[in-house]
Amino acid sequence: MQPIIFDSAAQLAIQRGVNQIVDAIRPTLGPCPRFVAVSSSLPGRMPELLDNGGVIARRIIELPDPDENMGAMLIRSFLWRLYATSGDGTTTAAVIFQTVLNEGLRHLASGGDPMRLRGYLDEGAQLILNELTRRTVPAQGRLLLAQIAESICYDPPLATLLGEIFDVIGEFGRLEIRSGSGRDLEREYVEGMYWSGGVLSRHFLTDQSDQERSLARLEDAAVLISDLTIDDPAQLIPVLQTAFQAGVRSLVIVARSLSDRALSLLLANYKPGVFRAIAVQTPGENSIDQAEAMEDLAMLTGGQPFFSAAGMMLNSVQPVHLGFMRQVWADRSFFGLKAGKGNPRELRTHIGGLRTRARNATAQEERRRLQIRIGKLLGGSATLWIGGANQNEITARKTVAERSAESLRGALMEGLLPGSGAALFSLKSVLDAKLAQSADLDERAAYRILMRAVEAPMRTIIVNAGYEAAPIMAEIERIGQCAGFDARIGQTVDVGQAGIWDVAAVQKSAVQGAITQAALALTINALVHTRHPVQALMNP
Amino acid sequence: MEDPVYALRASPAFAQDSICFVARQSGLYRSDNGGQDWQPAYASLHLTDPLSTMALAVSPDFASDRCVFAGVYGGILRSSDAGQSWQTASLPTPPPMVSTLVISPCFALDGTLLAGTLEDGVFRSTDRGRYWQLCNFGLLDLNIIAMAISPDFAHDETIFAGTDSGIFCSTNGGRAWREVDFPMEAAPVISLAISTGFTVDNKLYAGTEAAGLYHSTDRGQNWFSVGRDLLPMTINSIALSDADLFILADDKLLRSYDHGYSWLIKHLESTVWQGAMTLTILDEFGDGALLMVGLSSGETPILDIAEKGWQTILN
Repeated sequence: MQPIIFDSAAQLAIQRGVNQIVDAIRPTLGPCPRFVAVSSSLPGRMPELLDNGGVIARRIIELPDPDENMGAMLIRSFLWRLYATSGDGTTTAAVIFQTVLNEGLRHLASGGDPMRLRGYLDEGAQLILNELTRRTVPAQGRLLLAQIAESICYDPPLATLLGEIFDVIGEFGRLEIRSGSGRDLEREYVEGMYWSGGVLSRHFLTDQSDQERSLARLEDAAVLISDLTIDDPAQLIPVLQTAFQAGVRSLVIVARSLSDRALSLLLANYKPGVFRAIAVQTPGENSIDQAEAMEDLAMLTGGQPFFSAAGMMLNSVQPVHLGFMRQVWADRSFFGLKAGKGNPRELRTHIGGLRTRARNATAQEERRRLQIRIGKLLGGSATLWIGGANQNEITARKTVAERSAESLRGALMEGLLPGSGAALFSLKSVLDAKLAQSADLDERAAYRILMRAVEAPMRTIIVNAGYEAAPIMAEIERIGQCAGFDARIGQTVDVGQAGIWDVAAVQKSAVQGAITQAALALTINALVHTRHPVQALMNP
Repeated sequence: MEDPVYALRASPAFAQDSICFVARQSGLYRSDNGGQDWQPAYASLHLTDPLSTMALAVSPDFASDRCVFAGVYGGILRSSDAGQSWQTASLPTPPPMVSTLVISPCFALDGTLLAGTLEDGVFRSTDRGRYWQLCNFGLLDLNIIAMAISPDFAHDETIFAGTDSGIFCSTNGGRAWREVDFPMEAAPVISLAISTGFTVDNKLYAGTEAAGLYHSTDRGQNWFSVGRDLLPMTINSIALSDADLFILADDKLLRSYDHGYSWLIKHLESTVWQGAMTLTILDEFGDGALLMVGLSSGETPILDIAEKGWQTILN
């Protein structure tokens, strides 16, 4: 192995590595995908059958040729990051990346300048993004959402339910996808909001729910929000006095923990029809979660939280610190509320701020955390129970449902584009017009490359469905902007009318990422291999 | 003694049957002669105390189904014999204060009604008012003051709710709600009305407590103020006929026949006209219409818009 290789040798090695990865995941694009079998690391185990580009790329740990491996790892890392942030669109990105790289290297071999080419490709990518934004349509209505879901999961019953659920809960609504016990799919809508953090003593659970579950249920209740550890019952005296003075008949104390003596004080003050107090645990797994949950509870109920980190003590409690709500319930694991009496204007402003943060969040984990918070504040949640013939089917269906749900959120937030690669394919004419205007060789090459790149997803979908791409694409080009190929029926259709859509956010991130990353890869001029320091010492 | 009128509704076949209802603090009343005489509609309930009624809905198929709904504290009363007898539909505890009721224009087929409440958001019934379910997904303000339902509800399932902090819209029959980009500083929204040609013109109007009249021409996506310097700041009620837009302030009635570009005003100068609270169109005929106005005194004077006394205030 040479430690450093240069110029065309380096570029060709990168190209071979990229091509191996992309060729492995290419068959998974479109509504007629083929599976990729990945061997298990454990002997004797069945290979994994995958149809997700991001996951397949992730499973490829290393190529035998170290030079090619660098190209493979370059695209693998990009695809996995894209999968982590967008949840879909990895195969589309892969075929675009491959086309830009292969066509770009051809131009460089004929004397093109890599840095100038990269600049023009980046400009072209921005043009494509602007055009896609212009062609984006909003995702509204149960039927349209079901169509989008079906184009992702290819499971009509699941798609119908996801369409209905997202029509109800919207882009930020809370959806829990759980394994069901039967073969069928089922959904349930839960009114109100709830948090993990049940009662601090089972003696508070004196009511029964519809499912004969023990509950504590209070109406027109006040709430004291805190993350305090209350050991001494005397700490609760000012709270109870304040509640009595304010005419409160039902009180909920949110605290990190209460000692047995403090709990006894609350239980001793229970007078049916006159006064009742319960204590529930501050929701959240860590101090950040707890602070956010307390902030949200305060917004919903109009209370003012007591933060232990700020040294706040209950001896300063005033009626204004108490929040109010129409209903609250708690069991051993959760507590929830309906109709908090917080200021709706402040609540709307608070949610608006969280929405902005969620839209701008780059990390999927942060976005998901914000979505959960917003979903809670919106006042309801949905649960989708996934059934199946066996546990493997349930698990696979659950994964697909989660991926589809993520894409539906994206569709509701950022709209839709004509699917099956039709939106990208229709940009050929725009790029052709730019090509006609440009005189610079590298610029002309960039637009020619991009014209090939925007064709690539549609070409792949057609080929994967078992058809010859050239005549079909010629017909689509002749018909114009609304035309595309429905691979399930093997016909050219109006994609909008046929309900074939792609999530705009996913498509845009895939296209932008693929073009800019491939343009960057075109500027690689040398490959340097480093050795692990320990290996270097053992084999000098 | 004051007996404020909270809601007025006429039979859709008013021209033939002359039946109308008025919801007052002292209860619900029915008239069989076009509002000249009123009889207590709750007589069959033998109540010992007055039952304050804030909301009222009459079935669009009243001529055949005789259905009337009344929103009271803690529940909704429904009658299927034009208010002679009543059944109670209890709402979940704690008892909510029903502030407004809207009924689907295709009630005969879908049996859908929505009830807005003052602290608990929106309840929805799809079985002609027997069972009610809380539907507050996305409804961030639970103080519902006014609601308006699309005339093409069977297809677009669109409803608007005016609240303390603005307007919310549902496009799935009230199962879930979304904020509408209405200026928060202009809220509370105390009256709402949807154009009779909403399917085509996408127009709706919102009356506010202190910021005048607002108008949207794109199904509530964008709002703009109408006649800010000339119209009253408090718009208690809005009514739309096929040809005219009527808005009611405390002591004046305004009419526009060109969607709010120009206005005619009628001053309600007599002392008995003070405190005009609500408005309904009893009947439309040719270029004219009969309006009934509900006052804080409990009176329900009737106006023929063809009468003289309208002054132009804006062209």
